[in-house]
This record gives sequence, structure tokens and C-alpha cells, in this order.
Amino acid sequence: MEEQDFIDDLIAGKQFAYGKLLDLFQQKVFATCISFVPNKEDAEDIAQDVFVEVFNSIHKFKGNSKLSTWIYRITTNKCLEFIRKKNTKKRFAFLQSLTGNDIALDKTNYFTEINHPGIVLEQKETSDTLFLAINKLPEAQRIVFTLNKIDDKSYKEISEITDKSISSIESLLFRAKKNLQISLEHFYKNEK
Amino acid sequence: MESNKNIQEKIDNTFKAAQAIEPVSVSPFFKDKTMQRMFSEKEEEKVAWSWFSPKLQLATLACVVVINVIAFTQVNKTSYDENINQFAESYGLTTSDSNSLLN
Repeated sequence: MEEQDFIDDLIAGKQFAYGKLLDLFQQKVFATCISFVPNKEDAEDIAQDVFVEVFNSIHKFKGNSKLSTWIYRITTNKCLEFIRKKNTKKRFAFLQSLTGNDIALDKTNYFTEINHPGIVLEQKETSDTLFLAINKLPEAQRIVFTLNKIDDKSYKEISEITDKSISSIESLLFRAKKNLQISLEHFYKNEK
Repeated sequence: MESNKNIQEKIDNTFKAAQAIEPVSVSPFFKDKTMQRMFSEKEEEKVAWSWFSPKLQLATLACVVVINVIAFTQVNKTSYDENINQFAESYGLTTSDSNSLLN
């Protein structure tokens, strides 16, 4: 009932309710964002977009899930949207280089320019490789692996966010690890 | 070429790197910036469409309907015969006596 009152205040656009929402969720939403997008500035921008989306779409929240689950779902979608855009830009640049346009091919990958203050210097290179490998995973596997291994969310939470059963989460995680193993094996074998 | 054992060790370390990531705090001004963005966007939206009140919307709709009805009746007013005569006159196909040179 208390949550319903809070949601009603959010729907009414009350400023204090949004202040409370930010106090409750800013750190958690940001943590999820930086798990998907290992760059502090970009993660903060995405987290801001998440709260603006919540503000604009709160009237669509039907209460079928917990408010937190709904917010994490928006967060995950915003992060994936951002990653997709980055990957599309890269593909576009590649196509332009093929058609002979003057724009130079950007050989750097977004996930090689990591700016994550939580990564210690000694682990930087290894973490870069890990994020690069995660980016190559299929989307469903990437979501599950990131939420579980980087953002430290439980199977139950991931199951609620992704609207999948716990057994399918386990299966996706297993496949993600297997694919990462193959991808990393290939990477280290070809490393000079 | 490195041995398989070394490679597996590197892979294990890479997996362990995920657990070694320390939590990062959001910047101290995040809340203020987000609140400002949320409520300034709302204000802008309000200002942009505030003049278009529901009464005005209804009046606009009524005007559009009336103009459409008038236009539709105007289009249907001219009869078929009138159109045919106009067409025949334009191309000199009429059989009226006044135009005959033999009279």
C-alpha cells in the first residue's frame, strides 16, 4: 500500500517523490549502467535517461511487477540501446570505408576505451579483454552474464527483470560462459 | 605459441577480473542534474502546448469538419450534364444553330 501511495505521488509529478526515487535508486541504476557500459560519463548519461523515462512513462506502469524491477528493465533496455547505437556507428563507418568515402575507418572498439573507476590498474588489461569478449556475446547471454557477474544480481532478480524463468537464466549463463571461454581462448591463442 | 595451461590460466584470470571490479559511486551532483532535467523538460512541454486548450481543440476540430463538408458539397454540386456541355463547348462539339456558318 505504501508503494502504491509512492507510485501515485510519482504519477502526480510531485517533486519530493522524484527526490525520494533518486535517493533510493540513483546508485543502483548507475551501477547497472556502468556494468553494461564501462565508461563513467556515458553510464551517468544513460542513468539520467532512465530517470527521465521513468518520469515520462510512470503513468504506463501497471503494477504487474515491483517498481524496482520496472526501473531495472528500463535501465537494461537503455543500456542495450546505447550499445546497439555504438555498434551501428561502427558498422556504418566500416561500410563507408568500403564504398570509398573519405571518412576513415575507426578501428577502435567502444569497449577498448574503458573508463571505469572501479577497475584497478593491474586489472585494466584483463578487464578490457573481458568487456570486449562480453560485447561479442548474443544479447540475451550478455544481459544475463552482465547482470549476474558484473552487477552482482541474483538469479531471481534477473529472472524478474528479463521476464524469464530461473532455469532459462541458468541455461543462458552457462552458454554465455561457454562462449566467453571460446572467445577468450581464441583471443589468447592469437595474442603476440 | 603458449601452452594450453597458460592460456587457461589467463582465461580464469579474465573471469576473475569481473569479481575484482570495485563499486563506483555516482557523482554528487547527479541527483540535482537529473531533477533539473526532468522538471525543466516538463515545464517546456507545458509552455509549448498550454495555449492549445481542450476547448480550442474542439473548436479546431469543428472548423475542420465544417470546411470538409462545405468542400464536399461544392464538389458534388456541378451536375453531370453541365460538365458534358462545358467539355463539348470547349472543343467545339456542340450542335447549336448559332455557331453554324450555313445559316
